[in-house]
Amino acid sequence: MDQTHISSQFDADLEDIRTRMLQMGGLVEQQVRAAIAIYADSNLGHQETIKATEVRINQMEIELDDRCTHLIVRRQPAAGDLRLVMAIVKTITDLERIGDEADKIARYAISMQERGQVHLPGFSDIHIAASTAVSMLKDALDAFARLDVSMAGNIVLQDKHIDNEFRSVLRQLITFMMEDPRTISTALDIIWIAKAIERIGDHAQNIAEYVIFVAKGTDVRHASKETLEQAVAS
Amino acid sequence: MGRIAFHPASFLRSFWIPIWFRFGVIAFFATMSGFILGERWGYVTAILGLSLLIGFHLYYLKRVNSWLINSSLDESPPELPTGFGAWETVFFELRRARKRDQRRSAEVEETLNRFIEASSALPDGIIILDLADRIEWCNPSACTHFGLDLARDRGFLIANLVRQPAFTEYLVRADFSEPLHIPDPSSTLSLTVQFLPFQQNRRIILSRDVTRFMRVEAMRRDFIANVSHELRTPLTVVGGFLEQMVDQPDISNQQRARIHALMLDQSQRMQRLIEDLITLSRLESQSAPSMEESISARILVSQLLDEAGALSAGRHIIESHIDQSLTFLGAGEELRSAFGNLLSNAVRYTPAGGRISVALSASDAGAVFSVTDSGPGIAPEHLPRLTERFYRVDKSRSRETGGTGLGLAIVKHILARHGGRLDIESTVGKGSTFKALLPAARVARAALAA
Repeated sequence: MDQTHISSQFDADLEDIRTRMLQMGGLVEQQVRAAIAIYADSNLGHQETIKATEVRINQMEIELDDRCTHLIVRRQPAAGDLRLVMAIVKTITDLERIGDEADKIARYAISMQERGQVHLPGFSDIHIAASTAVSMLKDALDAFARLDVSMAGNIVLQDKHIDNEFRSVLRQLITFMMEDPRTISTALDIIWIAKAIERIGDHAQNIAEYVIFVAKGTDVRHASKETLEQAVAS
Repeated sequence: MGRIAFHPASFLRSFWIPIWFRFGVIAFFATMSGFILGERWGYVTAILGLSLLIGFHLYYLKRVNSWLINSSLDESPPELPTGFGAWETVFFELRRARKRDQRRSAEVEETLNRFIEASSALPDGIIILDLADRIEWCNPSACTHFGLDLARDRGFLIANLVRQPAFTEYLVRADFSEPLHIPDPSSTLSLTVQFLPFQQNRRIILSRDVTRFMRVEAMRRDFIANVSHELRTPLTVVGGFLEQMVDQPDISNQQRARIHALMLDQSQRMQRLIEDLITLSRLESQSAPSMEESISARILVSQLLDEAGALSAGRHIIESHIDQSLTFLGAGEELRSAFGNLLSNAVRYTPAGGRISVALSASDAGAVFSVTDSGPGIAPEHLPRLTERFYRVDKSRSRETGGTGLGLAIVKHILARHGGRLDIESTVGKGSTFKALLPAARVARAALAA
């Protein structure tokens, strides 16, 4: 009787931590969208929200870390539960980094606008990369909520697209900078933004890998495509 | 087996008669053998007879039991065995009860299905949560609003799947007196969400797609901002010059004349803008134009070509391919204004030396008036927004050319009122084609109309 009481309390604690982590994810997702909106629509209205959200994301990271440590110390989870707690601890770190990247995007977008308009084509490539990154992050969190391994597997494979997009943006901008040195400072800002988007994709990929780790117990980090597919299918 | 009418007396009779009959048979044979073979054989016969009877009942009891087990396992239970004697009535009643249950569950299922279908048809999303805020059921609209899939997501915490910060805060705050608006930074889907308490401690989430409403709201705001801006610009210029003339009354006549010319230009600009605004609002409020007025395409287009030639002043090559026999049915002034707008746009935006070709042709689907220019072209991201009021591809250039920013909006409205539409094709660096399409009902051959 007592035993079941303890374990159901444990389940509730664990579920609560997961929910809070996913809420933090929702906050980060909004942060990324707002940052990209600043860059895409020159909409400076989000500037204040981004600062406030950044503070909240950092607070949530500390709070969730603390809760996870307490859970491990007091309940000593094993097997699947332990994997879940470990994955949550790691995911929180990745989410916080994504928040930092979003902050970076906003900062560079604002500095670009303050410097004034130097029109560079090729914005659409960054848009594609940005929306892919946002949807990867959303899918990764969805996969975490559902512990959906096949969805997580897809995300890991998707990251290639963003990397390619980043390289093509880089090539384009290099050409522009060589043609006209006046574009250099703006082009550099765009490169930082593209890099931040590429990093968001990497972090989303990490989260997807943790989902596979939780559900299957297989560590697919740095694994080949075949190993990954095998882990998903098993 | 025989039918037994449901009547208490006959039921009792039919149940008890075979039983008493069997006891009677056993008693008769036992007594007979007692008399003939002696007392001991009488008892033996009685015991044998009763054992047989018990075996018979046990056999049927087992069959009922196995039937009950099978019918609880299967969706469609095996047919009930037919009984014998008293068992016949038992089986009959069981079968009746079974049929009644099936009918009732079919009724309940149908009611439930109807309810689910009805709520699936609703444009608003409905999510039913259980005590712990897990998803119990949702309709397809809710699935699209929140990206859920009922088959996959039933039993998941709603907060894990719907993670918009505004939503989670609303859920935690638990004050549902005001509906929540979930803004979407990428503005693809704006939702209004309301929680309704339901039974005890349970909740229903209602969600409504307000994207269109928000878009209209934004358009209205933008429109007012744009109108005030467009009106203020010429007014500022006029006001500035007047101030200058008050401060420095002794300016030269030559300078005065220049200022007057500029002020006149700006006031004409304001005039044009206000006229266009009035045209637009008139077009919006009136019903579709009648078919009675017939306009000869030949006269209309030749007038327009003359005007375009005057505006171009020989800077462009203007060529035309006109189907002379066509007649339009509709409001002549409106069509002239729509086609004239397209033509004057082409003249304004095509650099000197460019080529402008005007074509008018008809098919079964209707008539097409097209203006093709060899101008700079329009980038694809601007195309869908060209007919928005005050939308400008290049802000500085359009004002130079004297446009009000309302021309294409007016064209679009006029064509829509005539049941037609405006098609724009453009390639950057090559030029653009603006096509005004009118439906067949608005077009006639001159031979028929005359």
